[in-house]
Amino acid sequence: MSDLRLERVYATDPETVFDAFTDPDAQKELYADAPDWVVTSTCDLRVGGRWTIEFGPPGGPPARETSVFTVVDRPHRLGYVATMTMPDGTSFDTDLEVTFEEEAPGRTRLTILQTGFPTTRLRDEIAGGWPSILDGLGRVVAARAAGPHRP
Amino acid sequence: MVRYSSSTLDRTFAALSDPTRREILDRLAEGPATLGELRRPFDMTLPGLMKHVRVLEEAQLVVTEKKGRTRECRLGAEQLDDAAQWIETYRRRWERRLDRLGDYLERQKGARA
Repeated sequence: MSDLRLERVYATDPETVFDAFTDPDAQKELYADAPDWVVTSTCDLRVGGRWTIEFGPPGGPPARETSVFTVVDRPHRLGYVATMTMPDGTSFDTDLEVTFEEEAPGRTRLTILQTGFPTTRLRDEIAGGWPSILDGLGRVVAARAAGPHRP
Repeated sequence: MVRYSSSTLDRTFAALSDPTRREILDRLAEGPATLGELRRPFDMTLPGLMKHVRVLEEAQLVVTEKKGRTRECRLGAEQLDDAAQWIETYRRRWERRLDRLGDYLERQKGARA
């Protein structure tokens, strides 16, 4: 009932999409709403490892997201439990399963299944935030597909 | 003659051509709303609502601002000015035509008298 499923196809290989999705250097493009937004991320990419992302406009308290990986199968699958904080300061946990499927050479279908929302209202709120993140991921993978990634 | 950006008008009128999208604008006229708040009065699927909001955003009738993991929508009514101006131009033209028709009928009446 309160599940969220999102799909997006990117014109590159699964490794590039998988790496951009988790790479701390890429998170600004995914989470910033304006160039001056402050985005910081750390990622311990292993089962049981912690993934944190803080993001928001300068000067204000950032939104915070903390996840713990349950599945790390590069470049096919990623599972994690995410604790997301809402603008009113409340937080909730959901389970995420992300798959990176190579539909054709150089063509990857990203599927995000987010389950366990406490309410459909929260599910809808989070749904409103995903498209710009997936757009940002598209910009990162396009830039990386065009040239070698230099961290 | 005022020149209008045809593509802007196309987008504006296409976005306004759907009753659900006009209802979304009605709701946002009362104040900003997140997707969760917008969805409540509408009996539609989440992807459906997101698609409508996207069309309105592309027409710049709605602007959105990210707040943490959520996105707040509000009216971006500047684009309506172009559409209102376009309609106003035609309204004035028709008024002038009707004025001229009135003048003509008056003259005809005078000629018959």
